[in-house]
Amino acid sequence: MRDRIEDIALAGPGILLLALAFVLPLVEMLRLSIVGADGGVTAEHFVRFLSDPYYLGVVWRTIYLSLLITIICAAVGFPLAYVMARVSPQLRLWLIVLIILPLMTSVVVRTFGWMVVLGRGGLIPFSLWKLGFVGRNFTLMHTEAAIVIGMVQVLLPFTALSILGVVMKIDRRLEEAARTMGASFLATLRSVVLPLAMPGILAGSLLAFTLSVSSFVTPSLLGGVRLPVVASSIYDAATKTLEWNFAAAQSVILLIGVLLALTPYIRLSGRRHG
Amino acid sequence: MVRGVPRWLKALTWVFVALTLVFVLGPLIVVAGVSVSESQFIAFPPAGFSLRWFGAIFESNAYVGALVTSLQLAVLVTLTATVIGAGAAITLHRRRLPGTGILAGLFLSPLILPSIIFAIGLLMLWSASVGPVSLPVLWIGHTVIALPYVIRTTLAVLADSDPFLEEAARTMGASRWQRIRHVVLPQCAPGLAAGAFFAFNISFDEAVVALFLRTPDLVTLPIQIYNQLEFSPDPTVAAVSTLMMGLTILLIAVIDRFLGIQRFVGT
Repeated sequence: MRDRIEDIALAGPGILLLALAFVLPLVEMLRLSIVGADGGVTAEHFVRFLSDPYYLGVVWRTIYLSLLITIICAAVGFPLAYVMARVSPQLRLWLIVLIILPLMTSVVVRTFGWMVVLGRGGLIPFSLWKLGFVGRNFTLMHTEAAIVIGMVQVLLPFTALSILGVVMKIDRRLEEAARTMGASFLATLRSVVLPLAMPGILAGSLLAFTLSVSSFVTPSLLGGVRLPVVASSIYDAATKTLEWNFAAAQSVILLIGVLLALTPYIRLSGRRHG
Repeated sequence: MVRGVPRWLKALTWVFVALTLVFVLGPLIVVAGVSVSESQFIAFPPAGFSLRWFGAIFESNAYVGALVTSLQLAVLVTLTATVIGAGAAITLHRRRLPGTGILAGLFLSPLILPSIIFAIGLLMLWSASVGPVSLPVLWIGHTVIALPYVIRTTLAVLADSDPFLEEAARTMGASRWQRIRHVVLPQCAPGLAAGAFFAFNISFDEAVVALFLRTPDLVTLPIQIYNQLEFSPDPTVAAVSTLMMGLTILLIAVIDRFLGIQRFVGT
């Protein structure tokens, strides 16, 4: 009994902090999303968002860009993780450090780097101009391509490291057995490694997708005001037009989308640990 | 090494790895390059070499003010997240409380809940119940976000610790406080240290919560950079960004010393 009191006392500050500063804000957001101008309960904010073609366009852009970003991250992340898992430990450490470095760098700094690379006269437009593909004033800024490039750079290290965790657990002897029985390297990769790594690839992709649909800084700086995503629409409603109830309703819709994507993730990662 | 891989595939693999590294590290290298350029326009490859943009940061009141705010905030967040996280991790590790699984889920959920949703909830709740936004809200918000990292690093260390040490201390008559002070906390120490540096890095780099909670008097360094990027970026932005990257590299090296960076794979 006294042990239980000790445990509660140790975790108490944390539980209190999360209850007051994490759960309660979410509850307040849910409450505001259904409060009308007269103070009564209403669904008007949801109806407004879901019936306006403009906002539906914003949702659609957010979803298809995120799908594209997630697929690229998984397609590049898996081979990268496999290489990292099969090189020598020293080389693996270096690769991990080189991949963690951008992961831990502030997203504003990384996005700034892309603004320089993709903007007018930047490395990529300049090279394309020199090669004769585009005009002198060509820029990739404020395009969907810029959003995808910037977001893949943000999420690829994250996806690769979470897939690496799964690939590292695959028994090497299974691969050797397949090779001994005459399977080629690529056949082994396809029929042994890939199926075993699939739960990890899916879990990493789902997490990358939720981070992508809710990201704000990179899409708003690289995409600009003409290519809004759900997060920038929430930001505008909350800080520019000051329609808090509308901002709350949009956040609830985003939250529902994220939870839908997270449900299979929790099932996948639960199976992996248990 | 994997044997019997066709030579063309091996070569292709290394080209692929090299290109991927260029892609993820490229923007950082470009920022560092711009920061040492002599030109007063943002240019890459840099024209000439000069450190004058680094000097210009410290002549700008906006940057110095934001730097002071960010450092204050990061130190406060590191302290609270580490202390609160230590207690939570010890309790979670012991698994004695009923519902430990649910509690673990609660403690780690700020990690997967998008910070924009959390940020807007915090802004609304604070404005409705307390009043105008000020440094304490940002402190609380960043502590919530940093907490799961401290808990994870500490749990990772505790998982490898000897569970019988505490039992032995108990048998030998150590008091509750003595057990925690002399047995449990030293076991947690490397994880707490790594978690503390993570917390510092997260608070110092975080941009979403800080953006929703910004006021003219409450601008952190990432938000100052964001403001500049929205309007008129000049090479001082690159210089500030380079300083932030330098700090990140330092923190990664320190975390690696305390815990080994390999441990974060798969998290």
